[in-house]
Amino acid sequence: MINAGATLEGASPSPRDPWVARLTGTPEIRDAALDELREFLLRGLRKLMSSRYGGGYSAEDVVQVALVKIIDSLDQFAGRSRFTTWAMTVATRVGISEMRRKHYHDVSIESFTSDGASFEVAAEVDVTASAELDRMSMVVKLQKLIDETLSEKQRFAIRASLAGLPVEVIAEKSGSNRNSVYKLVHDARVKLRSGLEANGISADTLAAVFA
Amino acid sequence: MTLSKEQTKLLIHMVATAGPDEIDCDECYSSFAEFVEQELLGKRQGNDLKKVEDHIDQCPCCGDEHRALLEALREAHS
Repeated sequence: MINAGATLEGASPSPRDPWVARLTGTPEIRDAALDELREFLLRGLRKLMSSRYGGGYSAEDVVQVALVKIIDSLDQFAGRSRFTTWAMTVATRVGISEMRRKHYHDVSIESFTSDGASFEVAAEVDVTASAELDRMSMVVKLQKLIDETLSEKQRFAIRASLAGLPVEVIAEKSGSNRNSVYKLVHDARVKLRSGLEANGISADTLAAVFA
Repeated sequence: MTLSKEQTKLLIHMVATAGPDEIDCDECYSSFAEFVEQELLGKRQGNDLKKVEDHIDQCPCCGDEHRALLEALREAHS
């Protein structure tokens, strides 16, 4: 059993974590530490890799890649969590990224870029209800802001996000990176919120009317 | 393309919760382990980690990884 502890209470940030020391130690010490870490990561990822995105992914392959990444980025472990938690964070991202890559392999982004990446906000409204009229009015203003203030790239990123494509996949398929796509979406959200506020519609009002 | 009602509600949520000082995916990832560890211990998140929580709420990608990490850690420690 790995020395990860039965509970998390033992977490104590240290400038020279014992795991880091072992993983950078003599070949014998290092190999033993790698075996323990491999076993720990596999225990965490086996169920995950067999149940998400249709399953059928190899936890062993993911852990192998993750171990290389962990060793290569030991200097990024800041000791703010237990080493094993940080290592599992790295391995989980490797695993999820691999699953996403395969799951969305055949998805094209062409459908999100057509018509200048424009999209229309749904406005199914019962015109006899005053609350619905409020909603209709906000939808009209929101649509105008989307059409007139967002860039084509921002509309594309929002449209693809709303269709359920993970930011990571949007980035890969559009030749960008995850942070850039997130920033595109974030800036668009802020721009729309500011635009609505300039039209006298606060975020609280917006959330309440569409609750 | 016309958004579905669900997509419209999601867009409204995205707009209503937009803030200027949100962290991005990289910043979220760098605090992920610490955040999840505190969460598993049932501790309240401080201001810095609250930003991780807000990002997870806004970013489906990081939200998915957050759930996966919790699941993996619970499995590994069980």
